[in-house]
Amino acid sequence: MLRRHLLAALAGTAALAGLAAPALANDPVRIGYTIARTGLFAAAAPSQEQAYTLWAEQVNAAGGLDVAGTMRPVEFVSYDDESDPAKAAQLYERLITSDNVDLLMAPWGTPHHLNVAGVVERYGFPMVGNTAASVLIREVQPGNIWFPTSAIPDRIGPELAAMLAGAGVQRVAILANVLPFSQENLQFLTPALEAAGIEIAMSENYPPDISDMTPLLTQVRDAAPDAVLALTYPADAFLYAGQARELGIDPRLTFMLIGPTIDAFGQAFGPAADGIVTLAHWSPEQAAWPRARPFFDAYVARFGQAPDYLDSALAYMSAEILQQAVATAGLDRDALRAAIAGGTFDTINGEVRFDGVQNAVTPTAFVQRQAGVMQLVWPPAIATAPLAMD
Amino acid sequence: MMTSLLSGQLLFAAAVLGALYALVGLGMNLVYGTMRLLNVAHGDLLMLGAYAAFWWFTLTALSPLLALPLVAAMGAGIGLLLYALLFRRQLAQGLPPEVIEARSLLLFFGLSVAIQNITAYAFTATPRAYRHLDTVWQVGQTAMTGNRIAALAVAGVILAGVLVFLRRTTFGMEIQALIQHREAARIVGIDVGRVQAVAIALGFASAAVAGALLSMTEQVTPFMGFRFTIAAFVVVILGGLGNIRGGILAGFLLAIIEIYAVTLFSSEARSILIYGAFVAILVLRPQGLLGRARR
Amino acid sequence: MGGMQRQDWVALAATLAGGALLFWGGMAAGAYWQVVALTLAMWIALVQSWSLFSGLTGYISLGHAVAYGLGAYLMATQFRELPVWLLIPAGGILAGAVALIVAVPVLRVRGPYFVILTFGLAELVKFLLLRLETALGASSRLLFGAPGTDVLLAWMVALAVAATLLRHGIGRSRFGRGLVAIREDEVAAETLGVPVTRYKVIAFALSCVIPGMVGAVMALRSTYFEVLQVFSPTISFTIVTMAIIGGSGDARGPVLGALFLVGLSEILRGTAPQLYLIIMGVSLVAFVLFAPSGLLGLLRRKGG
Repeated sequence: MLRRHLLAALAGTAALAGLAAPALANDPVRIGYTIARTGLFAAAAPSQEQAYTLWAEQVNAAGGLDVAGTMRPVEFVSYDDESDPAKAAQLYERLITSDNVDLLMAPWGTPHHLNVAGVVERYGFPMVGNTAASVLIREVQPGNIWFPTSAIPDRIGPELAAMLAGAGVQRVAILANVLPFSQENLQFLTPALEAAGIEIAMSENYPPDISDMTPLLTQVRDAAPDAVLALTYPADAFLYAGQARELGIDPRLTFMLIGPTIDAFGQAFGPAADGIVTLAHWSPEQAAWPRARPFFDAYVARFGQAPDYLDSALAYMSAEILQQAVATAGLDRDALRAAIAGGTFDTINGEVRFDGVQNAVTPTAFVQRQAGVMQLVWPPAIATAPLAMD
Repeated sequence: MMTSLLSGQLLFAAAVLGALYALVGLGMNLVYGTMRLLNVAHGDLLMLGAYAAFWWFTLTALSPLLALPLVAAMGAGIGLLLYALLFRRQLAQGLPPEVIEARSLLLFFGLSVAIQNITAYAFTATPRAYRHLDTVWQVGQTAMTGNRIAALAVAGVILAGVLVFLRRTTFGMEIQALIQHREAARIVGIDVGRVQAVAIALGFASAAVAGALLSMTEQVTPFMGFRFTIAAFVVVILGGLGNIRGGILAGFLLAIIEIYAVTLFSSEARSILIYGAFVAILVLRPQGLLGRARR
Repeated sequence: MGGMQRQDWVALAATLAGGALLFWGGMAAGAYWQVVALTLAMWIALVQSWSLFSGLTGYISLGHAVAYGLGAYLMATQFRELPVWLLIPAGGILAGAVALIVAVPVLRVRGPYFVILTFGLAELVKFLLLRLETALGASSRLLFGAPGTDVLLAWMVALAVAATLLRHGIGRSRFGRGLVAIREDEVAAETLGVPVTRYKVIAFALSCVIPGMVGAVMALRSTYFEVLQVFSPTISFTIVTMAIIGGSGDARGPVLGALFLVGLSEILRGTAPQLYLIIMGVSLVAFVLFAPSGLLGLLRRKGG
């Protein structure tokens, strides 16, 4: 008699427990972000969004996102921010207050990150940034946003100068787009070169819509530098590479700021793209990062093109960091904030840990295309191949 | 500096750039001159030609130069389609030219936005590029990349061909007549509808071909066209709207400014020089260099 | 030359009521809708101002982005030095002054030449400012501590109301009739004694003042400022699109055009941006072909 009552009580309790606990296991985790699908940055943004898409597909194929022990599928809530940073801020506010997303991921580009930083700060909603690279990020209030990139201009300048000095470069020619990222880099590069005792034979600016660099490149050729530092954006990177080749400008080292990490660049120049040094801190060649090669292969398999070595890598890293933080802290914002701020993460770019808003581990690095493969060539600690000079 | 100003290298650069500007301007002038339509979507036609060349090369591994007739046909086809669907009716209504101009500005703008975004949806906005004819040929002190020589050659042939066509063939002379005096042309029995169709087909075809040529040296994206629309407008306005020869002249003039004035001043001043010259010339000569004075 | 007539009182009341609705509605509906109200007010202010020159004289300007950009540039660069309430009108004055300076030579050019000239002028100013920025060693700027969206909304609604009243007032005045005469037949107007050049110059400069102020206010929306952002040709093209869709017959047209596009944008753009733009492009084509006098023309036809 007692046993029957006990069994009934147990059954009843179990039933009540089943009713009380919501069906969490199958509810998707909703992750919100905006991205530039139209407008000025529309050509650059796919490299980031595709990395997000790949990550989500992989997570769902593996059974879902680990939310402090419970596996739940991932679902994106995304909008087009029209390449307008102010619009991005408005939409993030909507994602937080109206769409009630569980997590946030970052938009594309420095201006967007800076604007959205204000929003996440106001709502105390932690978000891992990625494709932002400006000294201005140091002025952002720490607490709810983090930047995994190490490609910050005030570090790029001295590191580049160090690499050049180490390679015996004595004389450089600088070409710089007038747009912000190029100019910011120029500001830090010039004194760093001077401090390293490297002669700046010429330093010229050009507007973003330049159609022909022949006059500029004739000047470069006449200056006979050991190295050319072309602080380019993607469009002029193509122009520079093609026309420098035509004019036979072949210094011992060519550095281009943005451009060579894009898949289309390799397609356009093939072997002629070899030897060009550019900004990135990731390469699938780095065996010490076991996740790097699988990411590269998966991206190529999924999209039919190589990932952008800077933007795609960063986007994927930010997703990995979020994933690992959620695994320990769940979706509670305070716990998540603490987990991201204090945690150590294992990403496709090796270990990442934050000090304030910045990545304390990943060094400012450069890559060089060698025999069609992107090798890390600086700093020596993470280099996968030595710097190849002509 | 003087020796470099006289260099063959600068001359080659100016020639290639000038030929491309002139070609881009030619298409716009043909369409405006005969129909008073302001084609704000001109650069997007160019973009479609660039994508056509890219996909041709990617899928067949054959030279895009072989595909040029196909690309031209594609451009002409689009032009004829738009003409039949949209413009024939508008033009037949006998509206004053200012109204047609204003409406065409907006019609083509709407089409431009639609074309860009359909393309972005279909192919994604990721930049595309390919390698072709990139051997560098050296003639004396002047170095020339194969694809740039090809661009110059093809553009040059088209420009020359169109000039000959306009002067020597019936259709060509009818087009010129239509450009110069619409009403008189109608009175002497020219089939205005047919001539307009030929003009728009030629205009759009030349834009698409220009895009195919550019795809050999530039990255291809759905939004690449706008830059060339602006360039085309600057060229045709500078030369005098509807003036085919003026447009070609203006194209080369702009290239000369871009190459030689920049050599004299600085590359940083490039856009200031170009737009500054444009504004200055128009203010001094409101009808363009070779345009007829309006009213 | 009468005083205020009934339709003027109606216009005044409707504008003020609309402005109040926009402001209080935005404030009540929450942060996201505040920004939508701000955006709507911005476009109304811009299109009304554009319309008082281009709509009336027929000189289609693709250069109003310059007025906007100049105001924004002034705000972004002087933000730390001067108070916001001073910089906003200063932006308008700067834009108006520059317009005044270029007006006389620029307005000698007609038709499509004028359209492309204004575009070239916009590009020229953009590149001049870029040059200035590199000379100053500052290619991007941060604006921290800007006023909140509620303050900006108040300013913007005020500008929208002012622009609408200005457009209405000028449309009903002798000055406005002179401008319309210029559109109909400039040479004849001059013969009839209309001071054509003076009228055009005044209208042009006046049409740039409020856009300058709008630019100054909008610069405060973003923590980050760079020249390329605010000198986008999209702004100029969108203004013209709204003017056409709305119809530029009188001051109601721009409001309709702005409502239509902002509404369409809210429904579609976030989730299907390419689809939104395709629809926008096709709508524009449809309007030009079938309703060239815009929504206003359609409404008139239905009512009258």
